[in-house]
Amino acid sequence: MDIELSNEDLEFRNEVRAFFEENAYKNGEDFNKWRMDWFAKAREKGGWDVPKWPKEFGGPGWTPTQHYIWEQETATANLPWDLPFGLGMLAPVLMAHGSKEQQDRFLPDIRDRKVNWCQGYSEPGAGSDLAGLKTKAELSADGTHYVVNGTKIWTTMAHIADWIFCLTRTDDSGIKQQGITFLLFPMKQEGIEVKPIITLGGSHSVNTVFLTDVKVPVENRIGEEGQGWTYAKGLLQHERTGLAGISRSLVALEKLKEQAASVPRGNATLMDDPAFRGKIAELEVDLWATEYTELRSLASAAAGAAPGPESSILKLKGTEIQQRIQKLTVEAGGIYSASWGAKPAGPAFAKNGMGGYMSSRAYTIYGGASEVQKDVIAKNVLQIKRSSK
Amino acid sequence: MNFDLSEEQQMLQDSVARFVQDNYELDKRTELVASKQGFSDDNWKTIAELGWLGMPFSEADGGFGGNQVDTMVMMEQMGKGLVCEPFFASIVLGGGALKRAANAEQKAALLPGVIDGSRQLALAYAELQARFDLHDVTTTARAEGDGYVLNGHKSMVLNAATATEIVVSARTSGGQIDESGISLFIVDPKADGVKLENFPTVDGLRASEISFDNVALTANSLLGELDGGFAVLNATANDGILALAAEAVGALEVLYKDTVAYTQEREQFDHPLSDFQVLQHRMVEMFMEYEQCKSLLYRATLESVQGDDATAQRNVHALKHLIGKAGIFIGENAVQLHGGMGMTEELRVGHYFKRLLVIDSQFGNADFHLQKFAA
Ligand SMILES: Cc1cc2nc3c(=O)[nH]c(=O)nc-3n(C[C@H](O)[C@H](O)[C@H](O)COP(=O)(O)OP(=O)(O)OC[C@H]3O[C@@H](n4cnc5c(N)ncnc54)[C@H](O)[C@@H]3O)c2cc1C
Repeated sequence: MDIELSNEDLEFRNEVRAFFEENAYKNGEDFNKWRMDWFAKAREKGGWDVPKWPKEFGGPGWTPTQHYIWEQETATANLPWDLPFGLGMLAPVLMAHGSKEQQDRFLPDIRDRKVNWCQGYSEPGAGSDLAGLKTKAELSADGTHYVVNGTKIWTTMAHIADWIFCLTRTDDSGIKQQGITFLLFPMKQEGIEVKPIITLGGSHSVNTVFLTDVKVPVENRIGEEGQGWTYAKGLLQHERTGLAGISRSLVALEKLKEQAASVPRGNATLMDDPAFRGKIAELEVDLWATEYTELRSLASAAAGAAPGPESSILKLKGTEIQQRIQKLTVEAGGIYSASWGAKPAGPAFAKNGMGGYMSSRAYTIYGGASEVQKDVIAKNVLQIKRSSK
Repeated sequence: MNFDLSEEQQMLQDSVARFVQDNYELDKRTELVASKQGFSDDNWKTIAELGWLGMPFSEADGGFGGNQVDTMVMMEQMGKGLVCEPFFASIVLGGGALKRAANAEQKAALLPGVIDGSRQLALAYAELQARFDLHDVTTTARAEGDGYVLNGHKSMVLNAATATEIVVSARTSGGQIDESGISLFIVDPKADGVKLENFPTVDGLRASEISFDNVALTANSLLGELDGGFAVLNATANDGILALAAEAVGALEVLYKDTVAYTQEREQFDHPLSDFQVLQHRMVEMFMEYEQCKSLLYRATLESVQGDDATAQRNVHALKHLIGKAGIFIGENAVQLHGGMGMTEELRVGHYFKRLLVIDSQFGNADFHLQKFAA
């Protein structure tokens, strides 16, 4: 056992830090231009614009330790914004199951941040039970295209997305995991209506998407008809591993401590309040443990082994920790957390506390709701068999 | 021993419940919350006509001589609809200070209007540096001529924008955190030097930041004894906590019952969600916490009416702690068990959850009161 980074790793970390420093946003700079330049320069570094992509698709081919270092460094650096849907969710599916033509057609635009994607999985009747989806895709008589009808819900960023990757039903005669087909189509076309859903944080990020006789050429189908569930399952795995956010939580916790230390409490500050301090400490202990759970998981991946049982708890622990940090931020804001938006008084951080906390409640709902995740762990990791008695 | 409501209280409960049923469907509330002042003048008139605004005032003051139990009965029902009209700010807080400390002249000038709804009161006590300590006061009132000059800043003053009079705590002597040396003043929000910044809060109610810049006050603006305002403020805050806790209990009932109903309707994996044992147990825990809150609400309310001050005070601390803790537990789980739907503004649960979060932050949160209880 050894936790020291090797000399190569240390060198890599310095290189990452230097890159972030050199390319940091400068006040007054055109934001869009900076963003595009940033990705171009990252690309010149050898695929740093697509850190998670494998080498054969232009990624950097880092070791798991290098990925970990990148995660740590990005948690504090100010990177240009990015959406996960094309880059992190669809791209791996295209690489694994798309045709060469599809890869050539879609991957470059994803990489260049030219096309924004959204994920059309959930439906009003199919949430945790995703395989119960009913959006119908019917092949035309001449076999050239599908006609898609149905409703998708909770589609994040559908209102700004150019394209959607969508699970549809082409056959309902077998078990529900069969007969699901994975289709790609543009959002700006006849037959697609996007209706905003306002969430508790007061913001608009999710939508209902109504699909009426949307024509999708067969070339836009990934893999085989009816095999979409297999492709999507792999994708969900990608979605989940990205959701623990340990490095970001470590940074957020330090920020929370600073914020609490700025809140007066009698002659001292909130950080001197034994109850608050105790909660911060409890959170930190959990975070330390989770950080090492992630490292153990990384180490086994580095050794080429399948991810160990410990990796299954990362999403659960990671999201719970993120929620607790948000909750304590609200507590630290005291009465001022109740005011949001244009807030005329109180500590500056309190302004966004409640919105952040509200949004964080979704972390244990999307990407596999916690209760359902635990079911999966009970079955797959603990291998608990349900008796049919 | 008996926890039954009297016949009058039962009628009061029914009447508030009916008002809530008629006027506080989520759609209607959402409309109110989006309106400029955040509540309905018509509702306010109805509430006044029904006589609720006079409930906690003595008969001598023109009221009905009710006590904290009557307020509890009303607030619990209002909590089921998250009523936006300023009953709490004007009657429990502002009115609470007035009925305890006002002299005959002040009462005669103000209480009839407060009780018939033509006047509204607000209570300004919170300050930036004070966190939850009522006795941490930097706003000053300096004696000058016959009157006083008020300077300072008050935060998150509930329903100040529509108030005709604001009761303000200010330091007239002593150090920043001394309990003695605090006095209460009745301030006209339109007076020179008073500046309000009004805004909606997370729960859809209205609050204001208020600054006082050399505001001239007459001698008769002083409410109660000079330097002796803390006791009045603290007793009013305790009544405020009881009322908020009652509102919370009403809201908690909605949250757990809506969740029980929703999980029986929503099907996933070819089962109603309520078939899953882990969800059943979670809902049982929500229900247990709700019942515990209700018990402590009864206890603290009765001790406040019948017990000695020290016992009542400790009960109030216990209550506010549990309401804060259980409120968040039940709120978070109501959202969680509704899945994505719980995250939207379309269902009640999210709105009730937000109200409970704000209630936790008012007059000291769960941690604050646990420490007071333990001290
Ligand atoms: C902010 C946000 C963004 C989202 N973005 C997207 C997106 O971009 N694309 C997309 O396709 N989807 C998206 N989703 C949808 C998300 O994946 C679903 O909300 C999630 O799968 C849960 O489904 P549901 O909301 O229907 O809840 P339900 O499945 O109805 O679950 C409700 C509750 O029941 C519990 N439950 C369900 N089944 C069981 C069981 N068998 N045993 C025990 N408990 C159970 C759940 O844990 C949950 O607590 C998003 C959701 C949110 C909130």
